[in-house]
Amino acid sequence: MDGDSSTTDTTQLGITGEYMTGGTYVLQTQDDDGDESFNDHEDGNGSKDHFREQDIYLPIANVARIMKNAIPQTGKIAKDAKECVQECVSEFISFITSEASERCHQEKRKTINGEDILFAMSTLGFDMYVEPLKLYLQKFREAMKGEKGITPVTVSEGLGEELTDDSFTGQLPAGLITADGQQQNVMVYTTSYQQIPGVQQIQFS
Amino acid sequence: MSAKNMEKVEQATNRKNISLPMSRVRLIMKSSPDVSCINQDALFLTTKATELFVQHLALSSYKNGSGKETNTLSYSDLANAAEESETFQFLTDILPKKILAREYLKSLEEMEKDADNL
Repeated sequence: MDGDSSTTDTTQLGITGEYMTGGTYVLQTQDDDGDESFNDHEDGNGSKDHFREQDIYLPIANVARIMKNAIPQTGKIAKDAKECVQECVSEFISFITSEASERCHQEKRKTINGEDILFAMSTLGFDMYVEPLKLYLQKFREAMKGEKGITPVTVSEGLGEELTDDSFTGQLPAGLITADGQQQNVMVYTTSYQQIPGVQQIQFS
Repeated sequence: MSAKNMEKVEQATNRKNISLPMSRVRLIMKSSPDVSCINQDALFLTTKATELFVQHLALSSYKNGSGKETNTLSYSDLANAAEESETFQFLTDILPKKILAREYLKSLEEMEKDADNL
């Protein structure tokens, strides 16, 4: 720091970042948020011990990668822009989710389904995503079908089970399939996929 | 989840054509009030939509921004996009426009001067 006696010198004021907003003034300092490793690593299993609920973000590396691929190849991205988009993303997810959740409640349902999400997007000005998303969903379902050997089930009110990442590649309990009485061509499989012919093999140790 | 299983999930993830961790997306969704259950389709759609959103926001901001000279997407590009685009309006609270401290203090002085002159 220089020995400048001017009080408008940010270094003198001890402000390392130099920003304030108009209206509500926000000083950006060097040690910004994002102290949780939860936000920086790419691991899917962040520890739940030390983050605040409102500070859950997607891993910055993934976000940055998507940004980089979206802009022209010669373009660069400032570090604070990456962090900022990370926050915007969480905001976006919450934005869509609460709209979808509201509709769910209005219709007295407990489980948010795909339609709710698409409807929310349409309502909130992201109509342009809807058609591409439907196509992606189709491909996703086919990919899932190929892996598990079952036809995709639209989870109904009666099942009400949350599906986690584990259920995509792990074993579905047989009870879940039969409880709703649906007639499906279901193959109950185990984590050792060798028993099922024609299905993509995933080896679990 | 063991490292090997993580790898498998990642490979599987690539087959499903997404590059964001669904488990984390789910966590964020669950942090909304009154959210109980989220079905698989909803989770996938939200994750994929988030990707589209990132692309959309990054490209819009970059195109409209000062990137032409600097070739860099900056925070202020994003803040401008939030203010100018109806689609990104919901971000204005978390993307406040920033001004330099000295500029703020200058405008404060000017406001005081105006108040004196009244």
